[in-house]
Amino acid sequence: MSTNRSHEHAEQTTQSFERIFSSGWTNFKRSSFLSLGATGVMALTLLVFSGLLVLNFFTNETVSYLDAKVDVSVYFKNSAKEDQVLKVKNDLEGVATVAKVNYLSREQALADFKERHKDNQLIQDSIAELEENPLQASLNIKAKTTDGYKGIVDFLEQHNLRDSMEKINFYENQVAIDRIRGLSSNLVLWGLGGSLFLALVAIMVTFNTIRLTIYNKKQEIEIMRLVGASNWHIRGPFMVEGGIYGLFAALLALIIFYPAVYYASGKLAVVAPSLNLFGHFVGNLGWMLLALIGSGLALGVLSSFIAIRRHLKI
Amino acid sequence: MISFKKVTKQYNGDFIALDNINLEIKDGEFVSLVGPSGAGKSTLIKMLIREETPTSGQVILDDIDLAEVKNTEIPFLRRKIGAIFQDFKLLDSKTAFENVAFALEVSGVPAEEIKTDVMQVLGIVGLSGKGANFPRELSGGEKQRIAIARALIHRPKIILADEPTGNLDLVNSYEVVKLLWKINEIGTTVILATHDREIVNTVSKRVISMEHGKIVRDQTQDGKYII
Repeated sequence: MSTNRSHEHAEQTTQSFERIFSSGWTNFKRSSFLSLGATGVMALTLLVFSGLLVLNFFTNETVSYLDAKVDVSVYFKNSAKEDQVLKVKNDLEGVATVAKVNYLSREQALADFKERHKDNQLIQDSIAELEENPLQASLNIKAKTTDGYKGIVDFLEQHNLRDSMEKINFYENQVAIDRIRGLSSNLVLWGLGGSLFLALVAIMVTFNTIRLTIYNKKQEIEIMRLVGASNWHIRGPFMVEGGIYGLFAALLALIIFYPAVYYASGKLAVVAPSLNLFGHFVGNLGWMLLALIGSGLALGVLSSFIAIRRHLKI
Repeated sequence: MISFKKVTKQYNGDFIALDNINLEIKDGEFVSLVGPSGAGKSTLIKMLIREETPTSGQVILDDIDLAEVKNTEIPFLRRKIGAIFQDFKLLDSKTAFENVAFALEVSGVPAEEIKTDVMQVLGIVGLSGKGANFPRELSGGEKQRIAIARALIHRPKIILADEPTGNLDLVNSYEVVKLLWKINEIGTTVILATHDREIVNTVSKRVISMEHGKIVRDQTQDGKYII
């Protein structure tokens, strides 16, 4: 008997869900004009979110580009012997924060220099005039993370072969790099702040659109209450309707976003060929679908839930 | 059995809508509630569906003090009472069939049963062929009959009709009253609030006259419209 009853109860719940979903879908279809407006506004909101993702992509690319530019070079005095240089190299490789150490011998430096300026006869002639190789042996050090450089410089400063080193040029780069990093982090901060503000405005517009849609049906809600509908029976279809707005808005936003990114990517390739904006977003299509549809659904359902609350007070 | 015990309703501190009402209505009665606009008829009806609660006194329906009904239980109370209004209160976005069916859907009645019951009740009000029409495609009389069908669908023990003929012409008003009569004959309590003299005199059952929130006259049999 009790199993029967619980089975019946489960059946009733399933039926209620089915009814709420089909009712939400019917409402969406029948109020097509309002639905179109709400869907459009939500699609704009989601496009702002997508813009945020593009900004994030640029930020990450800029930071990793700058990170790749940072390194420390140590130049050795001409009096330094090769085994001393190699000893420093060896010691550096034992430091945990060091990713890679490149050794450039004096001969190699000269060969590189000649190769680089092979078209410039004046330079070639000048070098031929010199009796001794003017270039120094150097070590080029890459840290695993940018925070590691300070420690590496300190390590070199305290090394017992410090006297054979001519200069450590991190100090020269550091100022320029810090300035660029500061600029880029400011850019990121302002961009992020601006986008978040826009997103907030878009969310409020969406919420208000849905609120107006529901306000239009104020009388319907009152009638539903009068014929004995429970709050969930009233709220449910509106939440489903909100979810449908979100779903369609997400699809609309994706349909606009990808061609726009494709277009922008083509233009961008002229300026920065290493940036593959379109490729990045095609590679993350699954995530984009999930993020946009997820936030569309959440935005629609939550806005409806909040907007309808005030109409449900008995 | 419905009883009002010393019921007073006061709005905004000074306006008194109901003033010390004492009233008993037995099961199966047909009661006409008459009086000018603002006499308190609608407030009285709203108390029975718990849209309003008394400032003091008790409204008791089948031994339940309505003021004690929890908010979550109100939908269940409303499913036991059929209500009809002057402005029909139909859902514009739903067809006639869906309007009636909605009242059953919210109670979790299976789809098959809903279909049979709705068709049957549309037959009773004489609108079997109008199920697929939206309210905007129906005449005033037809809308009110759909509203009656919706009120009947739960087979309620009580039907509350608040000025159901207020927006209807004479012929349609008479049709609606005939339906209420029929409903009363099968044992349903009917409370009809109206200020339509012709209708009250035609029905000629118990008539309660109200004025300024008070009951001024209660004719228990063969009542006439007197204020």
